[in-house]
Amino acid sequence: MESLPRNKGIVLKLWICLLAGLALPCQVTAQTVLVVWHSYRGQEKVAFEKVVENFNRANALRKISVTTLAVPYDAYADKITAAIPRGKGPDVFIFAQDRLGGWIEAANTVEPLDFYLDDAVKQRFLKSTTDAMTYHGSIYGLPLNFKTLALIYNKALIKTPPKTSGELVKLAKKFTQPQAGRFGLAYWYSNWYYHAALMNAFGGRAFDPGPEPVLDNPENIKSLIYLLKWCNTDKIMPADPSTALVTTLFNTQKTPMVFNGPWFLGEIDAHIKYGVAVLPTIDEIGGKPMRPWITVEGVYIALPSRHKEESFAFATYITSVEAAKIMATIGRQLPANKAVYALPEIAGDPVLSAFRKQLDTAVPMPNFAEMTMMWSPASTAMNKIVKGAASPEEAMREAQRAVVESVRGLRKSQ
Amino acid sequence: MKKFVSMPVAVGLLLAAALAFFLGALFVDQAAEDMARSIEERRGIVQAMALSEVVSRIESQDTDVEGRLATAVKYWGRLETGGIRVIRLSGARLLASSMPGDGTIPRRLKMDEKYLFDLGQRLRIARETNRDEGIARKKEIELEHMPDNRLSVSAPYLVDGAVRGYVQLNLPQHKPARLASRGPAILGAALVIGVFFVLALALGRYGIFRPDGRGLSRGQLALAAGVLLLGLWIFAVTQLSALADHRWRLEEGLAEHFMLVREASRDISQSFALKTAPITDNRWDVDEYRRPLHINDGHGHLRLKGLDGVQAALFKEMRRSFDGVGLLALALLLFSGAGWAGRLKHTLVENREAYLYVSPAIIGMLILVFFPFLYGIVLSFTDATIYNTGAPLKELWIGFTNYVNILADIHVFARTGQGWVVNYQNFYWTLYITVAWTVVNVSIGVSVGLLLALILNTKGLKLRAVYRVLLILPWAIPNYITALIWRGMFHKQFGVINQVIQMCGGEPVAWFDGVFSSFITGIATNGWLSFPFMMVMCLGGLQSISQEMYEAARLDGAGRWHQFRYITLPSLKPVLVPAIIISVVWTFNMFNIIFLVSGGEPAGSNEILITQAYKIAFEQYRYGYAAAYSTIIFVILLAYGIFQIKMTKATEANI
Repeated sequence: MESLPRNKGIVLKLWICLLAGLALPCQVTAQTVLVVWHSYRGQEKVAFEKVVENFNRANALRKISVTTLAVPYDAYADKITAAIPRGKGPDVFIFAQDRLGGWIEAANTVEPLDFYLDDAVKQRFLKSTTDAMTYHGSIYGLPLNFKTLALIYNKALIKTPPKTSGELVKLAKKFTQPQAGRFGLAYWYSNWYYHAALMNAFGGRAFDPGPEPVLDNPENIKSLIYLLKWCNTDKIMPADPSTALVTTLFNTQKTPMVFNGPWFLGEIDAHIKYGVAVLPTIDEIGGKPMRPWITVEGVYIALPSRHKEESFAFATYITSVEAAKIMATIGRQLPANKAVYALPEIAGDPVLSAFRKQLDTAVPMPNFAEMTMMWSPASTAMNKIVKGAASPEEAMREAQRAVVESVRGLRKSQ
Repeated sequence: MKKFVSMPVAVGLLLAAALAFFLGALFVDQAAEDMARSIEERRGIVQAMALSEVVSRIESQDTDVEGRLATAVKYWGRLETGGIRVIRLSGARLLASSMPGDGTIPRRLKMDEKYLFDLGQRLRIARETNRDEGIARKKEIELEHMPDNRLSVSAPYLVDGAVRGYVQLNLPQHKPARLASRGPAILGAALVIGVFFVLALALGRYGIFRPDGRGLSRGQLALAAGVLLLGLWIFAVTQLSALADHRWRLEEGLAEHFMLVREASRDISQSFALKTAPITDNRWDVDEYRRPLHINDGHGHLRLKGLDGVQAALFKEMRRSFDGVGLLALALLLFSGAGWAGRLKHTLVENREAYLYVSPAIIGMLILVFFPFLYGIVLSFTDATIYNTGAPLKELWIGFTNYVNILADIHVFARTGQGWVVNYQNFYWTLYITVAWTVVNVSIGVSVGLLLALILNTKGLKLRAVYRVLLILPWAIPNYITALIWRGMFHKQFGVINQVIQMCGGEPVAWFDGVFSSFITGIATNGWLSFPFMMVMCLGGLQSISQEMYEAARLDGAGRWHQFRYITLPSLKPVLVPAIIISVVWTFNMFNIIFLVSGGEPAGSNEILITQAYKIAFEQYRYGYAAAYSTIIFVILLAYGIFQIKMTKATEANI
């Protein structure tokens, strides 16, 4: 080993490189910098960044500034689950309510906000949006915006949207020509989320009481029998629906009416003039309205954050009227702040106000941790039912059994 | 002495005994400390429970609540309390306090006292969750060991069955009397070593168990192991009995304390004429889930039955610890005594240059590969779920239960009203699908790849380079994209495959509705993705076969089939076998294709093991169970790998 000294030098250098990579640069600032995570893109991102800019300008004297990080949606939930409990996450993050229960149960992720909330802030939101942020009686986030299904129709094909199920079926039957691929109504009815509008109308539910799953309760089954009437007796809907199919049918003018949410609007072809109306009431149960689920996007404060009060100030700001107006007009969101809908720009917007009206009958989607276990069995059951492979009772009983089993696997006495 | 006593064994025994007795004493100390701490905690809980009962009675009488609470808190101070707070959740009110620095009372909680409010909400949610779910999952009493050696106990008070607020006590903690375990441990270790030396010398002198030329002796190793285990066993037995006595004394102290608390509670109740329930059983001595412990009867006496239960649990845990220590010590003894330590040291010194070079890689592997891997294996022995991620793994330890649940559930088929149905969630069904998936895919990949390679290898083929590029393309496209494209092609209404079927006059197939047709979708996609790799490998192999062999064969009158069978295939073997080995492992864990194309539809019947593990972890949140699943997958692949390596060695020998 003649070249020993040189070799040693290389090894030493390698070690230095390794250690230098591990050592983190530290910096000290008097400024409080809040890190906010979101997953917005396109116009929503533009609007959100504008709101953040306004906040930064207003709080320059208090030395609070906000930096945002747009996380790709696919990885977003897992990133929150992994980073925040270990204190590596943001101060504030924005997410829908469906994962909230899991994060609260997992502990050290979401800060409860009851203590900060005074009545003035609590009252500024539409009631069902705060309900969606509530878990076991405590509020964990400020609702930012909501999404819900509504009736979206082609104005060229339909003059006035139907108000009742009777009108809907009559109108739809007139239009339906299965041979020509034309259907009076199209929506992803085999998807449990879309079906929930009918399920809730019949008084159905996923959990009762508290977090106990009850997929096979009689009301759920009645709603499924009713759905089968639309499919098999009235024959107004296409077989084997999917989002792609619904979009294509609507864009090729082969269906005049769809049940869909605000995310659908971006997929409608520019040449189609559409209107948004409230989902019809169901005659067979005494004119009770269809009650779709709402998903609410909330602003949460990360529990390990060291700037909680500043974070709360930010959360309060982005849910204020001033910010909500920007999010609605530029970002095309449906704000959870109710005062916004009184502003002339918003009240005059037929789309935003129609969704706002739909909210009155909508119910928050459950945010229990157990909810994630329900999707897979419920989708299986829905598929079987609409294909006639199983009766609603059988399929839902099977789904209930599967959910109860996985819930039991999760919950254990200490 | 070297002639009679094996040095490696002696050194090993010295280290092993030191380690074993040190750890043993540590465990005993720890147990004694835990015991003392749990008694201190129960002392606090008894007080907090008694006080919360008084507070809830004062609250429900609803006359001069704040004044009475102030009096009660003051009176309660006669007991040994460092400070008391009573907090009502509605309005975030601090109703009473004897803690220094709390200022004027009653008042609303201040901004920086948010944690006090959140604590109350946690207690309320815990109570409601446990009631709703009918199990004890969340702690209904919170304990916190403060840095100033105080114990903070927070227990909810209930009015009409609902949590209205909570009481918090900051108790000074007693320093428990230490258990003398160090002395016996040192003595034990010394005795073990002494006995071994005496025996080894004596026996060596008579020519029994003499070390060989390298200083090793199996007999002495066995002797050392025996002496060590015996010594450790005696130590464990004596220490356990000392622990039992220790607990008895502590429990008696607690029973006395209980009587004092009972008196204080009675005095306050009488002075405010509160309705009290007579103490028939001890409802204050509870665990953190507010479940009664039944150790003392509420009249100052201990209950032997309850005490025995606690003791048995402790003994079980201690036995497990000592078993672990024994195994560890034996391993250390063996490591040194069998000469492995010496050899390791030798090679480390000899090749220090090489070890220095690979050390960054070793460290990297340790941190990035082995640590997560071992963590996964440890996790598989727990019942970690999303609900208990905060708890230490030791508390969640359930041994082999997960493995038993996975492997012992052989009910693949179940009889129902509609005849026999398959339980698609069963492990063996998923394993069957996984194996079928792997075998079919690799067969397709190899046969298609080989066929295409043979075609491309044709002499004088025009545009060969173009074909080659085209055929490698499927491999070059990221498999996510390919998978999503194929998923679209299998769509019932718009998919190109059904369009073609319809053009030919057939009925469209709902590909993802049938178990078999859904399986086909995965096979088609993965077949498409896997043949280019095999083709490239085969092509390389084919081009290295010398043409002279074929010429010679033709001269001998061999036909095309014979040439293929006796020249091409054997020459391809060294290329094909490793390629097949890798491709089996890849396909076995081919997460993307299953997850993106069929998603395991219908009803999870087409899941392979790895996608099933993902669903258990991230849809059902059962981390421990999913870890066990993954470990089983690893074991299967490990077994396959070992088998394959042996096979390959056999084939190599033939060439």
